[in-house]
Amino acid sequence: MHKPFTDKPIQRIGEDGRKIGRWTLDLTEDQLRTMHRDMVRARVFDEKLVTILRQGKTSFYAQSSGMEGTQVGLAHAVRPGHDWIWPYYRDQGLAIGLGVSVRDLLAQCLGTSEDLCRARQMPHHFGVRNYNFVSISSSIANQVAPATGTAMAQQYLGTDEITVCTFGDGATSEGDWHAGLNMAGVAKAPIMFVCENNQWAISVDFKGQTASTNIAVKAHAYGMPGYYVDGNDVLAVHSVVSEVAERMRAGEGPALVECLTYRIGSHSNADADAEKQYRSREEVELWRSRDPITRFERFLAAEGLSVDAAAIRAAAQREVEDAITATEATGTPGWDVMFEDVYEDVPAHIALQREYVRAEQEA
Amino acid sequence: MTALQDKETAVSTSATLSLNLIQAINLAMREEMRLDERVVLFGEDVGARGGVFLATEGLQAEFGRRRVFDTPLSEASIVGAAVGMAVRGLRPIAEIQFADYMGPGFDQIVSQAAKIRYRSGGQFTAPLVIRTPSGGGVRGGHHHSQSPEAYYAHTPGLKVVMPSTPYDAKGLLKAAVRSDDPVIFFEPKRIYRAFKEDVPEGDYVVELGRAAVRREGADLTIVGYGGVMPDALKVADALKAEGVSVEVVDLRSIVPWDRETVLNSVAKTGRALLVSEAPRTANFMGEVAYTIQEELFDALLAPVSQVAGFDTPYPYAQDKVYLPGPNRMLRAAAKLLGY
Repeated sequence: MHKPFTDKPIQRIGEDGRKIGRWTLDLTEDQLRTMHRDMVRARVFDEKLVTILRQGKTSFYAQSSGMEGTQVGLAHAVRPGHDWIWPYYRDQGLAIGLGVSVRDLLAQCLGTSEDLCRARQMPHHFGVRNYNFVSISSSIANQVAPATGTAMAQQYLGTDEITVCTFGDGATSEGDWHAGLNMAGVAKAPIMFVCENNQWAISVDFKGQTASTNIAVKAHAYGMPGYYVDGNDVLAVHSVVSEVAERMRAGEGPALVECLTYRIGSHSNADADAEKQYRSREEVELWRSRDPITRFERFLAAEGLSVDAAAIRAAAQREVEDAITATEATGTPGWDVMFEDVYEDVPAHIALQREYVRAEQEA
Repeated sequence: MTALQDKETAVSTSATLSLNLIQAINLAMREEMRLDERVVLFGEDVGARGGVFLATEGLQAEFGRRRVFDTPLSEASIVGAAVGMAVRGLRPIAEIQFADYMGPGFDQIVSQAAKIRYRSGGQFTAPLVIRTPSGGGVRGGHHHSQSPEAYYAHTPGLKVVMPSTPYDAKGLLKAAVRSDDPVIFFEPKRIYRAFKEDVPEGDYVVELGRAAVRREGADLTIVGYGGVMPDALKVADALKAEGVSVEVVDLRSIVPWDRETVLNSVAKTGRALLVSEAPRTANFMGEVAYTIQEELFDALLAPVSQVAGFDTPYPYAQDKVYLPGPNRMLRAAAKLLGY
C-alpha cells in the first residue's frame, strides 16, 4: 500500500532504471511493452504535430513531451471506456494511452470532416465519447467541478465506474479547483484528481502559484488522501493510480494524486520563442536528462526485456503520417456545420441566420 | 424525447389546485421527480430547510437525501456538478439561491453548460436546469434584486426562461427538466406569492420558446416577461376602460424568443411598448425592438418604446422608483398612442 503525504515523490524505479525498494512487478511483459510503445507514440505525436504546425496545417499545439510517464501510466491504470475522464488540454498522451486512435486525434487537430467534434473547437481540444473522454474546455480548472458531478452521478447510479480529472499545476490556483475538490470531499464521490505538475504554467513557476510545499498536501484540507508521485516514473504512476482506483471502487471516496514531471517543450506554439525568457536552458536540459521514456527503457533492459526502440519509433511515425494523409483526404466540413449542435434542434432565430449565410455563400 | 416536450399537451385529469407561482414550481419538481429517477435536486439549503423561499419544501421528505440534497456554499460547485451529472446521464435541477449569486458559477454556465454540445459535436450534452429567483420588489438591495437574464441570453447554447403565472411556471419548468439543453430558469420572486390561479394537477408542459397572448387588442402591443406582467395587465385593463384596445404578449421564454407572436401582434397594432425591469442598456428587449423595426418598419405608427430598469445598480430605498410600475407604463403608452 502506498502512503499518502510523503515528503518525497513515490518512486518505483530510479534514473538508472533500477528498482527502488522492494516491490513485485504485477504487469505482464505484454503490458510493459504496450506501455513503452504508447509513451513513444505520444512523443512522436508531439514531434509530428510541431512539424505540421510549422507547415501551417494547424493553428495550435501544446506539447506534452516529458510528461509521458504521467499520462501513459495513468491511462493504463484505469478502465478505458468504462471510467470517465475530464482531461485538460495537454493530455494527448493520456488519450493515446487509453486507446483513442491517432487518426481521431489528428482529425480534431486538423478540423477535418471526420472530426468527432465537428471541427468547431480549437485544435488540440479533444472529446471522444467512446472513451468517456470528455470534451476539453480551455478555461483553466473549468473541468474540475463537472468531474465531481460526474462522480456524484456514478455514485447515484450505483456504478463501479470512477472519474479521473486531470489538470496542471496552474489550475490548482483557480477557485473552481477548490470548489470541485471541496464538493467531492463532502460527497465522498469516486473521483481521482490528478495534477500533472509540470512546474510551469506558461511562464509562472511553481513557487509563483502556491506557497504549499507541493500540490498533494492540499488534499488534507479536503479530507482526502494526497499522493506525491514521481511523474516521470511510469511504474510509480501506474502503481499508485491502480491502487487508488481500486479503493475508490470499493467506496473509499476521492483522492488527489500529484505527478511531479516537467514540460520539456514550450507551453504552446504561442510561446515557442518567448519560453527562453522565463526559464533557463540548464533547467530544461536537466529535465531532458530525466526523460521518462529513457528511464523506462533502462528498466526494461535491466529486467531483460529487449525493445527495438528505433523500430517502435519508426512505426509510430508512420502511424501519424498515415493518419494525417487519411484524415486530410476526408476534406473539411461545410460552413453550415457552424449552425448545428448549438441546441438539440435549430431554433428559428438561428435558422434565419443560417439562411442569411446560405444566401451569402451561394451568391 | 417525447411528445410532451414539444406540445402544450392535454391535461390527463380535470383536477385543479389553486396555487401561487412558487407552489406551482414545487409541484412541477415533485411531479418530474416522481416520473423520472434521473431527476435530482440540489443547492444551498434546499433540503431540510426547503429553500430560502420554500420552493423545495417537502421534497427531501418525499424523495430522500439521495435525490434532494444540500451542497457546500459554492455556486461554482453547484453548477459544475450539475454539468458533470448531466453529462453522465442525470437530469439535475440546481437551485442558485439568488440570481445575484450566479457569478461564481458563471464560467461553468458559459464555458461548460452552454458549449459542451457544440464543442463536442453533440457527443456530450448537458441537460440541466438552473433555477434561480431574480428581479426586484422585495426590498433586497442590489445583491438580492438584479435581473441578469441578458447575460445568459447573450450566450448561445443556453435556453432562458421566465414565467409570470403559476400555470406557466409549472408547465415551463417541466419542459425545462425534459429539455435536452441547459435551461436557465429565472423565477420572478416578487410575484412568488402575489396571486393564485388554477393549476392542473396532471401532467402538462408549456413549450419553451412560445409566447402567450394575455390580452387581445388592436391599438397597442405591450411585450413583457416575468415580474412586470401583472402591472402590464393592469395597464391594459385601465386603457381598455378608456377605449384603448391593448394586446399583451408575455414572452415566457427569452431564448429562444417567439418572434412570430410578437411580430404578428405589432403588425396588427402598429405600436410596441417593451417592458422589463432589467437595466436599460443591452437589455434583451433591445433585441426585440431591433427585430420589430427591421421587420415591420412600414407597419409602425410610432417608434418602438421601452420601459425598463435604469442603468444604476439596483437601489434599496428607491426601488419603487426604479421598478417600471403601471404609471410609468401608462405614460409611455400614452406617448405612443399620441403619435
